[in-house]
Amino acid sequence: MDAKNTPYPIVHLHYRKGDLIMKEGDYGVSIYKVISGHVRVTQQQGNMDVALATLGPGEVFGEFVFLNKSVETRSASVRAVDDVELEVMHPAALSREYEQMSPILRFITNQTLTRLVRMNKLYAQLLEKKEIAQKQQKDPGEAKRRHFRKDTNLTCVYWPAGGPSKLRLQGRLMDISVGGAAMEVSSRNALNTRHDPGSEFTIQVNLPSGRDMEVVGKVRTIDMNQVPGRIQMGIQFTRITGESKKTLGFFMMS
Amino acid sequence: MAIDSSVYGYMVDEQDFPDKKVIIEENSIGDWVYIVLEGQVKVKKKTAKGVLTLATLGEGAIFGEMPLFLKRDKLRTATVQADGPVKVGILDTSRLDKEFELLSPQLRGLIKTLARRFTETMDKISEVAAT
Repeated sequence: MDAKNTPYPIVHLHYRKGDLIMKEGDYGVSIYKVISGHVRVTQQQGNMDVALATLGPGEVFGEFVFLNKSVETRSASVRAVDDVELEVMHPAALSREYEQMSPILRFITNQTLTRLVRMNKLYAQLLEKKEIAQKQQKDPGEAKRRHFRKDTNLTCVYWPAGGPSKLRLQGRLMDISVGGAAMEVSSRNALNTRHDPGSEFTIQVNLPSGRDMEVVGKVRTIDMNQVPGRIQMGIQFTRITGESKKTLGFFMMS
Repeated sequence: MAIDSSVYGYMVDEQDFPDKKVIIEENSIGDWVYIVLEGQVKVKKKTAKGVLTLATLGEGAIFGEMPLFLKRDKLRTATVQADGPVKVGILDTSRLDKEFELLSPQLRGLIKTLARRFTETMDKISEVAAT
């Protein structure tokens, strides 16, 4: 049976930028398809929030509970990166088709799910290991400055300031202060987008306090040789809204 | 993992590989789908700091299936290498492909998203491992 021909009405949902759509640990069975906008999938790992994926139009989330009958709660949180429209797919509509699907495709699908879960774990473990290694490397003087520069390991989204916000690059904020941040990105990001001293980027990040912050920052220093495949940038914040400034201030004090 | 019996109906050929022999090369082009019949294989990915082993797959595991779901490029996302002598079955890709295309867009979208997240996660792992 085609899921289109089921008696379940198609429900559309709208979320604003920053809204929490799904919370890790909550009960829920619906599957969502992104119609427009982007969402970010994150998972709690120790005291770190690990960004697992950013999903755009046509992509699906909330499928873990549907595919893995032994799981009852959401395995990850999902938040709107920008204004988002979603289509809710009722699991019952998909369930019958899934049961009737050829056994081999069902087998491969389950295998992919199992492997994805394992790779997500491995990814989180590697991130954690790297974070610990970096903390040990920090220079001793760092401790004295801790109160106005904070070590972080936060996934952020950024794009050239004033450029099309459809272009979304991913980076990590390694430390942050009220005036700037150290950002690390993949060298691949620089293939099609200029990353030079003076380049201005709009940066969006969800702070561990759960609040979103958006700033415009200028690249002051750039180092492509420290770590192969990665670019380290020193960013100076040049524009920050009152709301984001407050959010950042509270985070720095916490 | 036991071999799913329905797989035999899809098998078009069998092939033996000696220890260390590369069955699938990362970034090469290809869309054959394989199943491990005897022995085991290692899944490896290149990183800036050398080769990283991501998984060991044993009897019954299917590999090489990503191009089936992610049509846009048939580039192999990882290297698969024999870990000891291995016998693999080669599956009928076009039949699998036809069955996949017959699914509703909803179910296909769900499987495609899983596949894309899986390959992206492997990419992210090799990036982190290299730093």
